[in-house]
Amino acid sequence: MASSSTSTEEATASTSTSQPENKEETKEKKEDEDDDSDKSGDEKMFECNICLDTAKDAVVSYCGHLFCWPCLYQWLETRPNRQSCPVCKAAISRDKCIPLYGRGGSGKDPRSKVPPRPPPTRTEQTDNGRFSWGSNEGNGGFHMSFGIGAFPFGFFASAFNFGGPGTTPAGANFMTPQQIEEQEFLSKVFIWVALIFIVWLMLA
Amino acid sequence: MANIATQRIKREFKEVVKSEEVARCAIRIDLVNDSWSELRGEIAGPPDTPYEGGVFALEIVVPETYPFNPPKVRFLTKIWHPNISSVTGAICLDILKDQWAAAMTLRTVLLSLQALLAAAEPDDPQDAVVARQYKEYHNIFKTTAQHWTAVYAGGPNRIAEYENRVTRLIDMGVDELTARAVLSANNWDLERATETIFS
Repeated sequence: MASSSTSTEEATASTSTSQPENKEETKEKKEDEDDDSDKSGDEKMFECNICLDTAKDAVVSYCGHLFCWPCLYQWLETRPNRQSCPVCKAAISRDKCIPLYGRGGSGKDPRSKVPPRPPPTRTEQTDNGRFSWGSNEGNGGFHMSFGIGAFPFGFFASAFNFGGPGTTPAGANFMTPQQIEEQEFLSKVFIWVALIFIVWLMLA
Repeated sequence: MANIATQRIKREFKEVVKSEEVARCAIRIDLVNDSWSELRGEIAGPPDTPYEGGVFALEIVVPETYPFNPPKVRFLTKIWHPNISSVTGAICLDILKDQWAAAMTLRTVLLSLQALLAAAEPDDPQDAVVARQYKEYHNIFKTTAQHWTAVYAGGPNRIAEYENRVTRLIDMGVDELTARAVLSANNWDLERATETIFS
């Protein structure tokens, strides 16, 4: 019994010593067979889930899925209204992922650089001719109470606003500087007329 | 085609070729041209369904924006299924439309289609006629699907009685494709099928 047990122990010992070698061999074989022979199994762990290549400028989502930032960025841009993880469909966004910094990396946030996008074609709206008392900064309350207080004027102002080219940015684009000056002048005149009107209303 | 799309298709192609499903002959992908933008897929009919034993060919067109947008997939082999058009082969499957996700691959798409064959969704149909038959005359649906699998996809259960009725219509001068389609749509009622064709 004892002798047999020692022999089996020896046998297991010998197999255990030989096993790692075998494993390495099989691993090497696998790599040779693999078309992506430059990639080991460990490296495949770090493939981007979108381009299936090793993740560059890697980010990881809160749900734990790895992407290249350019790939994920493009995915988020493709459907801006329904941003979900490409793997598990969890909610995902620019702020719901973490950049990964390896030792050799630059340490810059990959999210700070995005793939080149088409340049914006947005033109600034010319706001000169606007004749609105409720400013854009959210003074709506003031605007409301004033509008009710001076009803005829409010009506007058809104009518002017609808007609003015300042409300339509497309129209504003086609105004010559001279026209803009005229508009400015007109609006100033109207403001003064309105102020005089209000003062008269108050005194009367 | 955009570089990322080609790169990914090449990788996926390898993935499919190596996958165990190919070993089991359940799915297959072939190239159609050198541009990697058009592929030919094949799925085996899942076991314990009317499609068992059949092999269904699929046309896969990869858009330039792949993988951010889904591939366009269509059945080339004619099939009798509520979510697949019996005429055009168009597929109604959410992951090929709005539920697509960039991490899905050709392999997962083919497996999803196989799953669709095993679990039809008659309440969200592509082919209303098939869907109605599926709900109202489920047994006729099953035999019809079996019959179509046998005729078009190489399945084992060609139903002789159905074949006879098709032959009757062919004798009246109707072409085979129309005859089979109209009979299928009319629950294999020869009289009603004749009426539909000749009225």
